[in-house]
Amino acid sequence: MRVRVVLCLVVGLLSAGCAFSRGTLGDELKAEEIASIVKGTTTRAEVIARLGAPDRIVPANDYDIFHYYRYDAKAGSLLLIVLNFSRLTVKSDDLFVLLNRDGVVEDVIFSGRTQGMPFRFWPFSD
Amino acid sequence: MRRFFSIPIMCFAAWLLAGCNVARITLNEPLTSRDVGFIVRGETTLSQVVDQLGAPDQLHGTGTGLVAMYHFLDLKYSRVNFGYLLKPWSPVTPDLVMSGSGVGTDALEIVFDSRWTVRDYAFTHHVTGSRFNPWPF
Repeated sequence: MRVRVVLCLVVGLLSAGCAFSRGTLGDELKAEEIASIVKGTTTRAEVIARLGAPDRIVPANDYDIFHYYRYDAKAGSLLLIVLNFSRLTVKSDDLFVLLNRDGVVEDVIFSGRTQGMPFRFWPFSD
Repeated sequence: MRRFFSIPIMCFAAWLLAGCNVARITLNEPLTSRDVGFIVRGETTLSQVVDQLGAPDQLHGTGTGLVAMYHFLDLKYSRVNFGYLLKPWSPVTPDLVMSGSGVGTDALEIVFDSRWTVRDYAFTHHVTGSRFNPWPF
C-alpha cells in the first residue's frame, strides 16, 4: 500500500510538468488516392483532379514532376521545475508524380515518413 | 560518513541543475555513408534509390537530368541559469544565463542522368555543428 502511494506520488510529480504539442503543414496524402494513379495511364488532368494542384512543379529533362508534401511536427516536454527536457521531431511525407511530355504519368514516388512518428521527450537518444 | 556527504552533494547538484534546459529538434532521420553504400555510379537507378532511402525532399531539374536531395537537421540547445543558485537568499530571482546551441545540417545530393541513373552523389557534411554545450565562451 505504501509503495503504491509513493509510486502514485512519483508518477504524479513527473507527469505534472508534461507538455505535448503538434503541428502539421499541408493535407494528408491518402494511400488510396496515391494508389489510384496508374503508371502509363493516368493523365495530368486526372492527377490534378484527384490530388489537387501540386505544391511545386519541377521541370526536368522533358518531364514535369509534380511535388506534393506534408509536414508533421511532434514535440514532447518534460518540465521538472528545475530541469527541463524537450524534443521536437519533424518529418515529411513527399509524393512525386513524374509526367512525360505527353502528359501521362510515368512514375510515382512516395515516402510516408510521418506514419507512426512518436512523441519523444529525451533529447539525448537517437 | 558517505551518507553525510551525499546529501549536500545532491543539494549542490540540484542547485547546479536549477534552471537547466535541454532541447533538441530533429528534421527527418539522418543518413550515413553506410545507408548509401548500395549506390553504384552509372548503375543504380532512381527507383532503386527510392526503394532504399524513400522519396527525396526535393527534386531539381538540370539540363541533362535530375538532382535528388535528402535534407536532415539536428539542433541541440542547452541553457543553465546560475542565478538560481542565489534564489534562496535573494528577494528577487536573479538571472545569470549561459546557453549554447548548435545546428547540424546535412543533405545527401544524388545526381541522375537523362536515363534516371546515378551519375554522382555526396553529403554536404555539416552535422558536427550539433552539440549540447551551454558554455558560450
